[in-house]
Amino acid sequence: MSTGHGRGRLSNLTPQEVVGGLLLAGIGILVLDLVRLVVTGELPLGRLWSYTWNGIVDSLYIGLAAIGLSMTYSILRFANFSHGDLVTTGAFSGWTVAYLIGGLGVADLSSRLLLRADGGAQPGSVGMDVLSAPIAILVGLVISAIVTILVALAIDRLVYRRLRDAGGIPLLIASVGVALALRYLIAFVYTTDTRIVVASPPQPELPAAIQSVVPMETINLHEATLVISALALIIGVHLLLQYTKLGKSMRAMSDNKDLALITGIPTERVIFATWVIGSGLAGVAGYLIVLDRGQITINLGWFLLLLIFAAVILGGIGSIYGALAGSLVIGLTINLSLVWIPADLNEIAAFTLMILVLIFKPDGLFSGVETA
Amino acid sequence: MALLEVSDLDAGYGDLQILEGVDLDVADGEYVTIVGPNGAGKSTVMKSIFGLTEYMGGSIVFDDSEIHGYRPEDIIQTGVGYVPQNDNVFPSLSVIENLEMGAYILDEVPEDRLATIFDRFPILAERRDQKAGTMSGGQQQMLAMGRALMLEPDLLMLDEPSAGLAPDLVEDMFDRIDEINDDGTAVLLVEQNAKEALRRCDRGYVLVQGKNRYEDSGDALLADDQVRQDFLGG
Repeated sequence: MSTGHGRGRLSNLTPQEVVGGLLLAGIGILVLDLVRLVVTGELPLGRLWSYTWNGIVDSLYIGLAAIGLSMTYSILRFANFSHGDLVTTGAFSGWTVAYLIGGLGVADLSSRLLLRADGGAQPGSVGMDVLSAPIAILVGLVISAIVTILVALAIDRLVYRRLRDAGGIPLLIASVGVALALRYLIAFVYTTDTRIVVASPPQPELPAAIQSVVPMETINLHEATLVISALALIIGVHLLLQYTKLGKSMRAMSDNKDLALITGIPTERVIFATWVIGSGLAGVAGYLIVLDRGQITINLGWFLLLLIFAAVILGGIGSIYGALAGSLVIGLTINLSLVWIPADLNEIAAFTLMILVLIFKPDGLFSGVETA
Repeated sequence: MALLEVSDLDAGYGDLQILEGVDLDVADGEYVTIVGPNGAGKSTVMKSIFGLTEYMGGSIVFDDSEIHGYRPEDIIQTGVGYVPQNDNVFPSLSVIENLEMGAYILDEVPEDRLATIFDRFPILAERRDQKAGTMSGGQQQMLAMGRALMLEPDLLMLDEPSAGLAPDLVEDMFDRIDEINDDGTAVLLVEQNAKEALRRCDRGYVLVQGKNRYEDSGDALLADDQVRQDFLGG
């Protein structure tokens, strides 16, 4: 790097502006290259579309989980490292119930109860897809939220409430411990084996009218279920935060906890609601990820946690709208980067982008725009 | 019978004691000012009434009940409104949402009360849907007062409402406090702008190093040579 030559001309720019400029230039070059690849036919349009679609799907489940992480940060004032394992809790509890119902009379109770830990109850033979077992999968979705909420409330009662006024660092460290305890408690019951629990998704052909708008001939119904459920929940959270008394008091408390207290807002009740909403969404996110990927593993949430943190930090920690925008950026980046780099490295692209954005805007993209 | 009666109050932060045996009372509908040098504990008195400091002894009686140990939401219920000095609005909430939060403990937003507050502070009606954080300091101060008035408190505690206001707005702020008091709400005011505050109030306390130093009517304190020299800059 010839910084020696550049220093004279760039001396009026702050390092942030330099990084920001390089970032924009880099994005510009990549966009131009993308156009070149598409025009020359090196990158078929269909593949570009599927990367984009996958990016949207990924950003939706990252976003669902990110809302809760952002809420706990802004209202309870700590970075909750056990949030990823709440995602895992939702995945295992929800799919266990889906198997208990969907596999009734088809597979052994133990195979169903332990989610195929013994290798029994093949997803195909149980018919574990949204068309063959819609009710089992829907009930599983609801249960994933309920169980995760109960687990989160129990953890709050046992651990976090006792540390409420201890500050962010003790709470953060406690949450790392909770994360490990929760994950290995799940492993103790379900084993550490990764296994397929969802049958291959039904892929009906799209109606001609839709085919003309999007370059897709068929639709993966499991992805469609994920997209619709996630969008509905995100819109629901938005309406709750903007238009209900509870939502307004949550935003008030994330703005200023002391003022909320002297205004008469019952802060413990707001914290309760924060856990219910945040952990419920995390549980559903875990359940939907398994529906999309087909397989389940105890590291599901832990591996996802880094991406969730990246999304939340990118958007400006503490703002749920920022977290959603950050999730979209992260989801699209890990998928669109596949145009240039191999899949093993795609998360590097996401984290590099996050670091560069943070140097450019240390408080995140949406800092100060909207809290909670 | 006093509305608020603080007797022999000791309080502080952590191990640090700020208030030493503070006595203070406010009668129904009275306008009382606390003045004193920086660090005298003026704001600490208000925070202690709301249970936001470390209580170390003494009593705080409001409307015949001992409110020491009450949760803030219960203190509000008894009829005390409090506007802290800094960060006294929710910046990402709109004006109307801030006012709604002021009435949180009620099941429904009292529309007639809202109308009264909009009458008193027309700017709040104009800016109804604007985010509080984007308003000027004076407007935020009015919003903070409006929020505290949503429950029709018997006592309104204001911590340096004129701080940070442009000089031409200070007079206006004091006029509005007079109006609130004329409507029958007792006012307890902490002010840096001591002369103006003493001129307006019924009674004043001079607090020095966490202890009562003087107590008299506002006019008498203004006329007292010692007080003028030590605390009012001559």
